[in-house]
Amino acid sequence: MEIKNITVIGVTGTMGANIAGIFASFGNAKVYCVGRDIEKVRRTIPRIVKSVKADAIAKNLIAADYSSLEECVKNSDLVFESSKEDMSVKLEIATRVGAALQPHAISGTGSSGLSITKIAECYPEKLRSRFFGIHLFNPPYTLPLCELTPTKYSDELVKKELYGYLSNQLHRTVVEVKDSPAFLGNRIGFQFINEALQYAEIYKDNGGIDYIDALLGTFTGRAMAPLITSDFVGLDVHKAIVDNIYENTYDYAHDTFVLPEFATKLIAEGKLGRKTGAGLYQTVKYENGFKRQTVYDINSGFYRDVIPYAFPFADKMKRYIADGDYLKAFERLVNNHSQEAEICLSFLLKYIIYSLYATEEVGDSIEAADDVMATGFNWCPPLAMCLALSTVTDLKQLIHSRLPDICKKIDVDHYLADIKPSKYDYRIYFKSGRKIR
Amino acid sequence: MSKVYILGGAQTDFERNWTKEGKGMIALLKEALADGLEGAGLSFSDVKALNKENRVACFVGNFIAEKYVDQGHLGAFLTEVDESFYGVPSARYEAACASSSVAIDAAATKIRADEYDVCIVVGWELMKTVESRVGGDYLGRAAYYEKEGKGIDLPFPKLFGKLADETLKKYSELDEKRYMDALARISVINYSNAKRNPLAQTRKWFMSYEQASTRDTETNPLVGGKLGVSDCSQVTDGAAVVILASERFIKERNYVNKPIIKGYGHRTAPMSFDKKMADNAESEYTLPWTRQTCLDAYRRSGLTVDDIDVFETHDCFTSSEYAAISAFGITDPGKEYEAIENGRIAFDGDKPINPSGGLIGCGHPVGASGARMLLDLYKQVTGTAGGYQVKDVKNGLMLNIGGSATTNYVFILGSEA
Repeated sequence: MEIKNITVIGVTGTMGANIAGIFASFGNAKVYCVGRDIEKVRRTIPRIVKSVKADAIAKNLIAADYSSLEECVKNSDLVFESSKEDMSVKLEIATRVGAALQPHAISGTGSSGLSITKIAECYPEKLRSRFFGIHLFNPPYTLPLCELTPTKYSDELVKKELYGYLSNQLHRTVVEVKDSPAFLGNRIGFQFINEALQYAEIYKDNGGIDYIDALLGTFTGRAMAPLITSDFVGLDVHKAIVDNIYENTYDYAHDTFVLPEFATKLIAEGKLGRKTGAGLYQTVKYENGFKRQTVYDINSGFYRDVIPYAFPFADKMKRYIADGDYLKAFERLVNNHSQEAEICLSFLLKYIIYSLYATEEVGDSIEAADDVMATGFNWCPPLAMCLALSTVTDLKQLIHSRLPDICKKIDVDHYLADIKPSKYDYRIYFKSGRKIR
Repeated sequence: MSKVYILGGAQTDFERNWTKEGKGMIALLKEALADGLEGAGLSFSDVKALNKENRVACFVGNFIAEKYVDQGHLGAFLTEVDESFYGVPSARYEAACASSSVAIDAAATKIRADEYDVCIVVGWELMKTVESRVGGDYLGRAAYYEKEGKGIDLPFPKLFGKLADETLKKYSELDEKRYMDALARISVINYSNAKRNPLAQTRKWFMSYEQASTRDTETNPLVGGKLGVSDCSQVTDGAAVVILASERFIKERNYVNKPIIKGYGHRTAPMSFDKKMADNAESEYTLPWTRQTCLDAYRRSGLTVDDIDVFETHDCFTSSEYAAISAFGITDPGKEYEAIENGRIAFDGDKPINPSGGLIGCGHPVGASGARMLLDLYKQVTGTAGGYQVKDVKNGLMLNIGGSATTNYVFILGSEA
């Protein structure tokens, strides 16, 4: 498969721009950058160049708007749609692309969870076999995950060729997933994040949002605390993902996908997160350069200073991690029975179980769950987490004693029976959060 | 005299930023030593047992932890890593970016002299504790700091930029564009090799010939003379462990197919760059002491360049890899560009250089680089380099330099048979 020319639709969005950068750099393709407003597209091009730190790709980027969409598509070997996450918009674009797509070309959507099959059906029958979900994570330059979703119409050979192109040419970690709401990475990730948001409401008298983040921070095997992640992604996007999963799936963790009321209220007020200046958190900047980190207090409805919580189990874990004593850190977590340690450990155990459960439903292997969480979220992936905890305890026994309700709902032993060694090193993901120098 | 065997070892993932992970040198050394021992088929309890009979020693390579992490006495520091190092003879060796090569040399000498049976070499540097300009100033101490480093913004890029200028001056028939394009190709080869190395710092980064050959742009600014960022190795955190052993130990433990150090070279050129260049006036080589170091290693091993199947070189800058090509004897001096243009030094060429990605692609935690190179040769000779394995490697050669090619170290590693 030779891909020389690519059309990216919706290039002024964050993902559209970053993906155009990947195509133009690693793909060394000429990229038609299509957006609604050509001036805005022109202003986006320097951003695309910056996203891969290479001025050399500027010559590969051609600004265009929707008036020349068909012409761009006709000249393209690959068409990638990264428009607004709105089915009616995507269907309209797919219909236009389908009418102009070359018979040899491949087309894909970057949708993070809408029905790929439904979009495929906008294409003329003979082109449906060449349409796929191609879901990348932000920012793709540092997060190499690519969820590839075929549909029942997809051609097996074309899929293999596309898989090869994405992994060998674009250096993506490609994971094949079923056409299921939110696919695999966001299903697992947002199960965790949304349940953390629910816990913020349950424990609002303890502090709520920053209390939960302090329990599930970077020392628990992730690049960013879960609610900071939500704030970074945006509550609107968070809501779209969990609503989609809630409405279109039904599994044992169904209730954990309900968005808490306070979050709905924040969205209604336009407090979506970092992109709007306020959300779950708000950074207040002063003229003298001083920055104050504040957090939404669920009880009062106002922002207040983030509390520097000091939980003995967490402090001890961080100290151990700073010195590379991971096993001592895990021992401390497993053997401490404070409310905070128990909440923290239960989240890690639930994460393992839900990952194994979801990958059986959506992924093609147990390793798929590892790939998506390590390369899409930068979280300690579930199999590596199993290894980490297994070094200090009998994991199966621990899960049965700490998560009795889940063990009643599903056959946990069935999922644990397939556990394999992870190809990822758990040590990398557990950060101390402490200043070194 | 005993032969010197390499049992194996390990390197940390050079992509990691230990400061961002909130971890310091203890964590770095704990991980590196645990993995290194495991990679050599040993454990901490082996160290303890061997030490009862005074058969094991440690050799720490590090350039300037006093600046980066406020710590000296680094040989003794291993006792903080694990109790099994209590009582084990251990010292730190320093020769700027060639620090872990001196450590290897000292370790190999002890084995050759039949004094110890197992020598643990650990090279390390944590460089991301400070911002890059401060780090650049620290590194200036590898040159004559008072004259070549102090108060100069990024002294080393400037010195190796001067090496590029001197190369053009020396070989008057060498076209400047041809030379600069050859340097760009060196950069691209290292970046693309790094893509195959799962522990390389730049494995996710983008580099192309167009990007590397177009310098003085926003994303490829000049850093020293004609050299751009793309010509420059990385600021890296990391450690590498290699474990050397005696013939007696190999027999005792029934190790098979372990490679041996067949030869080495160690020469010191004049410290200051200008004296170095004045010294080379009569030579055909820009770096005659680097060439001499290679010749010494060939002589000691009884091998020639024809016998070497893979090279790991010190590409702190593309201009230093360029000079190494003739120092190795792959081409005549002044004709280095030929081996670059005709693909001889590429991954699938007949004289592949830096399949690991080298300092530009894999990363350059300065005190670790020599040990990392020897570990990579070990992987190549034993066929365990995975995705970046070069075909049919019997012998490999590494060149590790300190300062502006002041300390020069070459080791040749090969299979015994």
